Parts: sequence; structure tokens; C-alpha cells
Amino acid sequence: MLYVAKRLAVSLLLIWVVATVVFMTLHMVPGDPAEVLLSTGGTSPDPYAVAELREKLGLDRPLLVQYAEFLERLTRFDLGNSLVDDYPVAEEIALRLPRTLELILAGTLIAVVIALPTATYAALHAGGAFDRAASATAAVLQALPVFVLGTLLILLLAQWLRWMPAGGYVPLAQDPGRHFLLLLLPAVAVAKGLAATVFRMARASVLDQLSRDHVRTARAKGLTQGRVMRRHVVRNAMIPVTTVLGLQMGTLLGGTVLVEYVFNWPGLSTPLLRAVEGRDYPMVVGIVLVVSGLFLLINLVMDLLYAVLDPRISRS
Amino acid sequence: MKRLLFPGALVASIVLVALAAPILGLPDPVRQDVSNRLAPYLPGSPLGRDEFGRDVLSRIIWGARASLGVAFTSALIAGIVGTLLGLIAGWFRGTVEFISVRIADVVLCFPPILLALLVVTLLGPGASTLILVLSILYLPGFVRVTYAEVLSAGRQDYVEAVRALGAPTPRILLRTVLPNIAGPVLVQFSLAVAAAVVVESGLSFLGLGVVPPTPSWGLMIRGARATMEQAPLYLLYPCLALTLTILSMNLLCDALRDAVDRKGGARAPRLRAVDRILPGLFPARDPAPLLEVQALTVEIATPSGPIRPVEDVAFTVRAGETLAIVGESGSGKSITATAVMGLLPPVAQVVAGIARFEGRDLLDLPEEERRKLRGGAIAMVFQDPMSSLNPVHRVGDQVAEAIRAHREVSAAAASQEAVDLLKRVGIADPERRARAYPHELSGGMRQRVMIAMAIANRPRLLIADEPTTALDVTVQAGILDLLAQLRRETGMGVILITHSLGVVAETAEEVVVMYAAQVVERGTVAEVFARPLHPYTRALLAAVPEGEAEPEGIPGVVPRPDSWPPGCRFAPRCSFATAACERPPLLEQAGERLVRCIRWKELA
Ligand code: SF4
Repeated sequence: MLYVAKRLAVSLLLIWVVATVVFMTLHMVPGDPAEVLLSTGGTSPDPYAVAELREKLGLDRPLLVQYAEFLERLTRFDLGNSLVDDYPVAEEIALRLPRTLELILAGTLIAVVIALPTATYAALHAGGAFDRAASATAAVLQALPVFVLGTLLILLLAQWLRWMPAGGYVPLAQDPGRHFLLLLLPAVAVAKGLAATVFRMARASVLDQLSRDHVRTARAKGLTQGRVMRRHVVRNAMIPVTTVLGLQMGTLLGGTVLVEYVFNWPGLSTPLLRAVEGRDYPMVVGIVLVVSGLFLLINLVMDLLYAVLDPRISRS
Repeated sequence: MKRLLFPGALVASIVLVALAAPILGLPDPVRQDVSNRLAPYLPGSPLGRDEFGRDVLSRIIWGARASLGVAFTSALIAGIVGTLLGLIAGWFRGTVEFISVRIADVVLCFPPILLALLVVTLLGPGASTLILVLSILYLPGFVRVTYAEVLSAGRQDYVEAVRALGAPTPRILLRTVLPNIAGPVLVQFSLAVAAAVVVESGLSFLGLGVVPPTPSWGLMIRGARATMEQAPLYLLYPCLALTLTILSMNLLCDALRDAVDRKGGARAPRLRAVDRILPGLFPARDPAPLLEVQALTVEIATPSGPIRPVEDVAFTVRAGETLAIVGESGSGKSITATAVMGLLPPVAQVVAGIARFEGRDLLDLPEEERRKLRGGAIAMVFQDPMSSLNPVHRVGDQVAEAIRAHREVSAAAASQEAVDLLKRVGIADPERRARAYPHELSGGMRQRVMIAMAIANRPRLLIADEPTTALDVTVQAGILDLLAQLRRETGMGVILITHSLGVVAETAEEVVVMYAAQVVERGTVAEVFARPLHPYTRALLAAVPEGEAEPEGIPGVVPRPDSWPPGCRFAPRCSFATAACERPPLLEQAGERLVRCIRWKELA
């Protein structure tokens, strides 16, 4: 229990740190932030527009006041309004976030479901043909950038073979079959990096466990091969894998932005990319905050899972 | 080293081509020629022209320049700044340490691409923004690596010495610490370059990285996506170039990491052999052999040919009796036991011999039959009870698991029985201890759990492989007493594997002395101790400490299985060796005993 409380406190602290860093970024840029945001390629912006933006972002007030207000609004989940259409950022995120979460969840599931059994089998037959093929595939997948994979999947399955739609989105309520069909390719693309990493990690971890003394004990007890694998090899091998899973989620979240763009999946990346191009600062900050918060949350969950898996952590 | 060669050469050639781009006589990569839009082939344009009529080959090579330029520059900046920060943090400690390490760690709270997009919003896209973002992203890696290495290097004697001599700090850091951290930092650098190529291409693909018309692989893929129906090849070329580059960089990283890791080397654990001698217990002899091992030979396939860690080993164990197998580490005694149990690792194989247990040859049984015997009629206790218990399961569950592997009992009944067993092996408060995890118990208690697990199904043969070696001296006697008591109560046969003759005197009736895979002497404990025939047995006996003294040990070590002397394998360490010992001695009958020494009669 103490461990859980401690871990929760650390996560809250990290969220505060992240918020502060995001707040500071705008003010660490040399020059006037409003001017920086409005300038494109060396031309000085219209002074009238600069003054207006400065007022809109509250940049004319003392820094500490701005910071306090920023934090205060954060606790109310008020992320400000878009500079482009004045729409509340939080509402835009609330609409888009579930779709991104669905993609992340589907990708993670696919990655874990494919990588874990493959890794276990490969480790059990280390050096064999299957192991070598799987390891080589993992190496290639790891080297294949996620947007390249996405684009190639569209080229192959949508353009040439015409088996799959090239992308898009249909709400679940409207047509469940089509919804999942459209989810499949982006989810596979999101899954690839994670699958490759989990495979490599899990394979190494299972191999490591196989040579452990306690596995020999389990076999000396006369347990069946299946039970030895389940309870004494895979169960233990999962412990280091959860840590890697948590850390890899950062890459996965970044990859999701690219995948959503490639497959026209209307998650967070559409407003994010539009906002980056249009220098819509509040929108970018809102999305970065939410996704980083999500990343910290996932790591919290992974750490708690780690504690459940490994009794040595929570008790000592 | 060999593994470094191929990916190294690949990366080097990619970098060379990128560097040489201006002198290769390529067409201008940004010159548009709309009349030749998407031309599949033109003289001077072997790969054709893109959607603006620009030469594709030239754009790919110039694109490599852009991608690699950004990646190397940012990795270099991150490397220099990060290494400096790490050096300072590790050397000065205190506040400086806290600030530099924590600030670096903050970066790790953000998903990389998100942080990059935040900065791009502020500064606008472009190569310089990219370099700034990527250097920030990879800074923490360098700080951490350097910091950790400085901390460990700072504790080394030579650094302490230089420091004590009053050398100025920057000099110490440069001269002594930097060469040590060069390896890990190099690995980190290669990782950063590879990762930077990925992020750079991703951002360029989104139109937020390198600004057109500068050629970049990410931008090329972005452009070719629009025309992939008419010209799919233009999509494939940059995809291939990008993936191949990253793949070869990843391979290089892996190989580099392995090379650097190996230099660290692993430390072999040192074992202390201190045993107390207690009066032995000699129960009445039962003539029926329980286990009869004959001509057991184990082979391990190695890259340089097969080796034999166990050769032509034979012995007999009777019910209610303890047979000790003695020898230094490397003599093959543990592998002998592992082979009898059928627990050899896949690389090792029994190539000859029989092990008759209650009339059946163990080595010839199908795996399922052997599994039923393991933990049932034949049980085993291992050397290190900490590593031999699974750290993530409660010890009571692990004992119960052994019961249920062999008998059809309910989970509740098995748990209850496990508690009874824990009590039987002398664990106080067994109900509570059954719910403990292995790390919550003391070493002696863990070994008692292992023994409880072993006797769970009333085995008729117990193999104990160095059961007290990993334990504290004070609890060793307790464990040996427990084993002796259980043997008397249950009448099981025991094989006790040990490197200590002291332990043998206390507990065993028969002893087999092994050296370099072979049995060198075999007989009753009383006879062997009173009148050792083999020079190796004599040396072992001489090494048994008197009272609290440290054992003397025998000079030299057991030769490795791939470099055994051609004649008597003990000859290089034997003080009685003569020219005659260059022929391999046979195992000869010497009264009730067996001995493998050419000169045993003269020496007796
Ligand atoms: S055969 Fe020779 S070398 Fe070997 S133990 Fe006997 S005396 Fe020593």
C-alpha cells in the first residue's frame, strides 16, 4: 500500500513537472513569445496582431501570475481556447481522445498477443530456424519507420490487392464491422514497433529464466513441461518485460501521431498537426499535456503491475 | 569483432556516399522539369524523375546527406553536452548532481515526437529546429551513461590515487575517466544517431521537419504518397533507403553494445569451504542396491569439438545409506547427478552408460516416465536455495506444487500438507512462513523449504548437490543433521555431492572421489579416510581444516575438459608423478576398493 501511495505521489509530481516545462517553453524562447509565434521566415509580424495575441495569451501580465493561473486552470481541465477558431481546446481533445485511445489499445493488444507467444517459442528453440526467422523479422520491423510501414501497407493492401480500404473512420455505432476493418491496418502499424521490442525483450528474458536454478528445481519436482513454462518461466520472464512495455509507450504514442496521419484516423493527431502548422499554441500545449499525462499514467500502471508481478518490490 | 564488420561497413558506405554527394556529378536535386514529370527512366536519371520532374537518384543521395547531417549533428551536440553534464554531475555530486541529472530526466517524461512538435510550433519547421529538438531528446541518455560510469570509475583505486596526488580536476576527468567511459558513450552515440534518423524522417514526412525543396527521405515519401497509384516505385525507393539505413545502424548498435559489454566481464563467485567435523552416524547396511550407475559418460558439443565432463562413472547407492561424491569444482560431480535426474541442459547428452533405479534404466525411460520419477521417487536439493526457489511465488505454494505434481489432492489439502512438511523440516511457525516469499526467509530456512519440497512425495532416493555450500557456517550443521535425521526416519538412499571431505566424514557410508570427469577412488568412508590410496584423495584429506583454520587447498586447478593431460589427469598437480604416469591409469581393484593410479601399490 505504501508503495502504491509513493508511486502515485511521484506520478502527480511528474505531471506537475511536465506542466511546468510546457509552460516554461514558451517563455524560454529568445524574444517576445507572441512575436515568435506570429513570425514566419524572417518577416516581422504586424505589431497590432502581436499586441492582440499577447493580450489573448495573457502575456502582458507578470510571469508568476501567468504561471499560477495556468496551473489553476489545469486543475479544472481548462486548457484555453484555440487561437484559430476560439473553440475550447479541452472539448476538441475530449472528442478526439477516445479514438486515439482505441488505436493505442488495439495496437498494444496486437503487439503483446503476437510478440509474447512468438518470443517464448523462439526462446525455447533458440538457434533454430523459427527463432532465426522471428529474430530477423523483429530486427527488420524495428528498422522500418512506422509511417513507412503504414504507407507500404496502403500501397500493398489497398492500392494493389484492393483487400482493404486505404484509411478513414466510421463510428462504432454506425457500422461495427466497417469500424473494426478500418481500425485493423492502423492498429497493426501502431503495433509493429512495440511488437518488435517486446519480442526481443521477452525472448531474452525467457532465455535468461530458462537457465535459472529455480526452473531446474521446478523440473526436479517433476512438474510437466507446460506447467514449468507457465508458472516458472513465462511468469517470471514477464517482470522485466512490463518495464520495457511502459518505457516503449512513449515511442508508441509518438508513432500513433504518424499512423493517424497516414490512415486519416481522426484522433488527436489531426488537430495537433493542424495546430503545429498554424502555430496554434494553446491547442498544441493542450494535446502535448494530455498525451504526456497519458504516458505517465501508463507508466504508473506498469509500475503497479510490476509490483504485483514481483513480490520483492512492494514488500521490501 | 566479426559482428561489427558487416553493419559497420554498411553504415560507413552510406555515410561516404552521402558525404560524396557533391562530387558524384549528380543532377541538381532541386531543379524542376515538369515536362518529364514521373518519367520512369531518362538518360542520366536511372531511377527516373519525381512528381516535379526532379531526378530521383540524386534526391535519394542528397536526402541521405540531409537526414544523416541532422542526425549526426544533433547526436554530437547531445553527446558533448550530455557527457559534460554527466561528468560534472558524477564528479562534484551534491546540488550540481541533482540539478543536471534531474533536468535531463524531465525530458524522459515526454513522448519524443510530442516534445518535438511543441518546439516546432514555437520555432517553426527547419533543419536548425530539428537539430535543437533532437539534441534535447538524446541529452538524457548521455548524461545517465556518463554519470553512472563516473560514479563507478570514481571509486576505482587509480582514480582515488590520482586525486590524492592533487591533480587538477579537469586533468583527472580527461586523462583517467574519459577513456573509461568512451565505450558506453560510443554506444549511446550510435543509438542516438539511429533514433534521430527515425524522428527526423517522421517529422519531415509530416511536413514539419526539413523544409522543401531540400531533399529528405521523409519528404520524398510524403511527396510520393500522392502519386503512388501512377508511380509506386518512387514510394519504394526512399522507403527502402530509409529502412536499410536504420537497419544497418541498429545492427551496428547491437554489435557495439555487445562488444562493450563483454569487456566488463563477469566475476566468478568464490566459494568458501569451511566445515565442521561431527561424529558420523552409521545405520545398518541394506544389501539391496537402490541405484546402480555404470559407465556413465556425458558429452557436451562445443564449437571446437565434443568434450566429456563425465567419463565412465560407476557407483551404487543402497536404501538408507548415504553415498558421497567428492571433488573440486570442475570434477564432473554435479553433472553426474544432473544426468541421473535427467536434467542435463540441451547441449549436454548422455552418450553411454546405464543408471538402474529399482530395476529400470533411468537413462532409457521416456521423458514422461522420468518426469513422474523426478520429485516423486527421486528428489533433488540444490546448492543455492535463494536462486533455486522461484522469487515470485510463496514458498508454501511451491511446496504444494510439488505435491500436486505427483498426487491427485485438492489445493487446500496440498497447502495443509505443505505446512506440515515445513514443520517437519524444522521451520517454526510454519503457517505464517508458508505464506512468505523466498526473499523474506533466511538462507538456512530457504534450504529447509527446498528439503521440504524434496521429501514431499516420500522419495526413495534424495540427491543433495552441495546443500550447505551457499549457507552460513552456523546453519550448515543444522541442514546436514536434518538430512541425516530424515534418512534415518524414511530409510531413503542419499547421494551427497560435496567438495568438502569434512562433510563426508559426518554423514556418508560410501565415498566416490572424482577428478577431471573420472572416478579416481571409491570405497567406504571408514577405509578411505583411514588409508587414502589415490594421491588426489590424500591431497583432499590434507586440505581438510583442523578446527577453525582455513583449508589449505591443493595447488593448481582442475584442468578444463578440453585440455586434459594425455596420461593421468592428476599428473600436473601430483607430487608423486613419474614418467610412468604419462600413460592413462585404469580403475583398479584394491581389496574392497577401486583406485585409478599407476603407483598406488608403491605408495600404499
Ligand atoms: S598415476 Fe601418477 S600422476 Fe597419477 S595420481 Fe598416480 S602417481 Fe600421481
